[in-house]
Amino acid sequence: MLDLLQRTLEGLLEAGPYALIGLGLTISFGVLRRINLAFGATALLAAYVGSWLHVRWGVPPLGVWVAVIVITVMVGFYVEWMCFDIADDSVMAMRRQSSVALGLDAREASVLAASFALWMQIEQVAVNFQPNHLHPFPDLSSKLNFDWGGIDLRPDRILVFLLTSGLIAGLSIWLKHSQLGLGIRALSSSQAAAQVCGLNVLRLRYIGTAVSCVLCGLASCAVLSMDGQVTPMFGMWVLLKGLTCALLGGLGSVRGVLGGAVLLGITEAHAQSLWGPIGRDAATWGLLLLALVVQTRPLKHPFFMQRRFE
Amino acid sequence: MNNALCITDPGIGFYTQWIILALMGLSTWLVLLTGRVSLGQQAYFGIGAYAAAVVTVMFNGSLILALLVAWLIGVIFSAIISRLLQKLNGLQFALATLAIAELVRLGLSSWTWRSTHAKGYEVGPDGVHGFREIRWLFENQMGPETYLSLSACILLSALFLIWKISQTKLGLSIQSVGFDSELASVQGEPVAGLQTLTQTFAGGVGALAGALYAHQATYIEPAVFDVMLGIHAVGYAMLGGLATPLGPLLGAAFDLGLLEAARIFEGWRMVIFGGLVALFLRWRPGGLLNHAALSQIKHFFIQRRKPDEHSKFA
Amino acid sequence: MLEIEEIACSYGKIEALRKVSLKANPNAVTCLLGPNGAGKTTLMMSLAGILKPTHGSIKFEGQNLIGLTPSQIVQRGLALVPENRLVFPALTVRENLMAGAYLRKDKPGIANDIEQQLHRFPRLRERIDQLAGTLSGGEQQMLAVGRALMSRPRLLMMDEPSVGLAPKVVAEIFGIIQKLHHEGTTIFLVEQNVHMATKVAQHFYLLQQGRVTFSGTPDQLAGDDLVKRAYLAGQSATA
Repeated sequence: MLDLLQRTLEGLLEAGPYALIGLGLTISFGVLRRINLAFGATALLAAYVGSWLHVRWGVPPLGVWVAVIVITVMVGFYVEWMCFDIADDSVMAMRRQSSVALGLDAREASVLAASFALWMQIEQVAVNFQPNHLHPFPDLSSKLNFDWGGIDLRPDRILVFLLTSGLIAGLSIWLKHSQLGLGIRALSSSQAAAQVCGLNVLRLRYIGTAVSCVLCGLASCAVLSMDGQVTPMFGMWVLLKGLTCALLGGLGSVRGVLGGAVLLGITEAHAQSLWGPIGRDAATWGLLLLALVVQTRPLKHPFFMQRRFE
Repeated sequence: MNNALCITDPGIGFYTQWIILALMGLSTWLVLLTGRVSLGQQAYFGIGAYAAAVVTVMFNGSLILALLVAWLIGVIFSAIISRLLQKLNGLQFALATLAIAELVRLGLSSWTWRSTHAKGYEVGPDGVHGFREIRWLFENQMGPETYLSLSACILLSALFLIWKISQTKLGLSIQSVGFDSELASVQGEPVAGLQTLTQTFAGGVGALAGALYAHQATYIEPAVFDVMLGIHAVGYAMLGGLATPLGPLLGAAFDLGLLEAARIFEGWRMVIFGGLVALFLRWRPGGLLNHAALSQIKHFFIQRRKPDEHSKFA
Repeated sequence: MLEIEEIACSYGKIEALRKVSLKANPNAVTCLLGPNGAGKTTLMMSLAGILKPTHGSIKFEGQNLIGLTPSQIVQRGLALVPENRLVFPALTVRENLMAGAYLRKDKPGIANDIEQQLHRFPRLRERIDQLAGTLSGGEQQMLAVGRALMSRPRLLMMDEPSVGLAPKVVAEIFGIIQKLHHEGTTIFLVEQNVHMATKVAQHFYLLQQGRVTFSGTPDQLAGDDLVKRAYLAGQSATA
C-alpha cells in the first residue's frame, strides 16, 4: 500500500514539468491553431547549447537557463516563420461561411508536415553540434529526500510542482484580464476577425510563440536540472509529454493541462513499476491515443464553443 | 543513421532500395489523397517486414507467400486502424497515427519468439535486438537483378492499379474527398467508406514495402521503423508532388539519389532534406509535380502532337 | 472623404476588380450594389487592407491607404463590419466589444462605449457574458456592428449586413444603419438587397463583373432602364 502511495505521489510530482511543456504546446495551439511537432527538437537544441555553455565555458546555472530560454525562443521563431505562414485563412474565412474552407485541410496537412520535417532538421543540427550521447547539465537536484511516514519525496520536485501550479494560475489570470491576453485569445478564436478589428496578427503570433517557447525552455531547464544531463532522446520526450498533457487536458485549456499532466505522471509511474521503461513509453503513447479517440470536443473548432485558455 | 534510408548497396540494390522507399512514399501519398496526413505509415512497413520474415524464416514459406501474408496483415491492420480513427479530424488523425506507429514499434521491441533453424542457429524476433538471418534470397539463389525485377513488378502493379482506379468514378470520388470532405459529403459521397478503403490499400502497400525491405536487408529491428522513416515517407510524397502517384517516386529518388549518394552532404542529409520539405510546403505546397506542373506537362505534349496532326492532312 | 481611383485587384490570373473608381461623402450613406461575383467583397477587403490592389489608389481624408496593414487602417479611422459577421465565437459578447477597441488606450472611454453599444443593442446586454458563437445570426450582426463602432470610426464599412438574416431582422439592422446615419456616421454599404438599401442610402454605385456601371441617386437608379434590365430584372427599386 505504501509502495502504491509512493509511486502515485512521485507520479504526481512529475506532473510539474510535464504541465509546463504541455502549457507551451497549448499556448502554441491556442494562438496558431496548429500543433508544432518541432517543439521537442527545439527544446533539445537549446538544451545542447546550454550544456555546451556549461561544460565548455563554465557558464553558471542561471546563465545556462537564460541561454536555453533564449535559444528556444529563437528556434521557435524560425519554426514559426518556416511552417506557420503557410496557412493564411483570413481571406478564405471571410469568403466562406463554412468552418472548413476550401483546401483548409490540405493547408493544415502542409503545416503539420512542415513542422514534422523541421523536427528532424533541428534534431539533426543538435546531434551534429553535440555528437555524444550524454551531456552534463547544471545539476540542481536535491541530494536529500523528505521522509513523511515512510514516503520519500524529493523537495526539488515538490518545488517545481508548486511553481508550475503558480505559473499556470498566473498565466490564466494574465490571459483573461490583460490586453495582450485578450489579443491572444481573440487571435486564437478567429484570425480573420482579429485582422478586421485591427489586431496586429503577426505581432501577436510571435508573442504567442515566444510565450510558448519560454514555457518550454523553463520546463526543459527544470527537468534537466533535476537529472543533471541531457541525451538525444530528450526532444522526443518533450514532444510526447507535452502533446499527451495538452490533449488530455482538452487542447486549448490552460487549467486542463495540469490535470492532464497529473494523470500522465501517475499513469507513467505505475506503468514503469509494472512493465519497465518500454511499458512506461507504451502507456504514454496509449494515453495519447486514448485522449484523441475518446475526446468528445473537437481539437480545433471555434464554432463549437470551445473556450480557449480557460 | 536508419538503415532503411541509407544506401547499403551502390549497385543494383540501390534501385531496389529506391523502389522500397518509393512504395513507402506511395503509401503515405494514398492517405494524403483522402485529405489526411498519416505520420505513422512506418507501422505497416514494420508489420509487413516482420510478418514476411516470420513466414520465410520460421515457416520456410516462399517469398511470394510471405509477400501475400504481409500484404494481407497490412490490409487488415490498416482497415481496423482506419475504422478506429474515422471520426477524428485531420489534426487528431495525424497525431493518432503517430501514436499507433510508436505503439507498434514498442510492441515489436517487446516481441520475442525464438526457434531453432534447421541449420542449428536461433532465429525469430528477439525484442529490441531485432530479427536476424532473413536469408531467403541467398538460400534460394535469387540474385539482385531478379529481386529488383520482382520489386519493380510490385511497384508497377500498384501504380497501374492506382492509375486505373483514378480513371473511374471511384477514383474521382476519392479525389473529391481529398479536396473537400464536407463538400463531397453533401454531394452524397460516402466519405468515411472512401477514406477507409484508400487507407486500407495504403496500409497494404506499406506492408509490401516492409516485406521487400526485410528480405533485402536480411536483418530488421524495431528502431528502423521509427519517426524518421515516417517523416521521410511524408517528405517523399509532399516533395515529389501530390498530383500524381509518380510524386513519391520522384521524392525518394531525390532523397536517396541526390542527398544520400552525394558524400558532401554526409551527416547533414536530414538538415537539408527536412529544410527542403518545409520550404517546399511553404512556397510550393503541392510539391514538384503539383497540379499546375502536371497540367503544363500535359499541355506541352498535346502542343507537340498538334503540328504532327496538321501535317497528316497537308 | 473616401476616394477610390481606378483600383484593380486580382486573385492570381482572375481580375476581380477592373479600374474601379468611386467616392463616399462625409455624413452620407453610400451604397455599392452588385450581383454575386461582382467584386464587392473584394473591394471591401482592399479597403480593409486585407487584399492589396495591383493598381490605383485609395485615399481617406487625403491619406493614401494602399500598403497599410489592417491594423493601421483601423487606426486611420475606418472600421469594417465583414460579410458573415465574423465575430470571435470563443469570446463573450463583452470580450468581442473590447476586442473592437483593442487599439484604444482610454479605459474609461472604452467602458463608456461598451455601455453605449449595449444601450443601442439591448439584446446584447441580455447576453453580455454569453459566447458569441452561440448567438443567433441577427444578434451576431448587431455584435459585429457594435464591435466595429468600438474603434470610433470616421467611416464605417458594412459588407452585406442583411445576408442570411430573416426579413424582420434585416429591417432591424437597416433601422440601426439609419440611426447611425442620423447620428452623423459616414457609412459605406455593400448590399444585394436593393429594396432596403434605397431606404437608407443617398448615393448608389453598381458593380458588375469588376466594373462600375452606374453612379447616381436612388431616383436615378430606379429610372435607369439599363440598370433595371441588367440588375433589377423588372423589380421596382422603390417599392
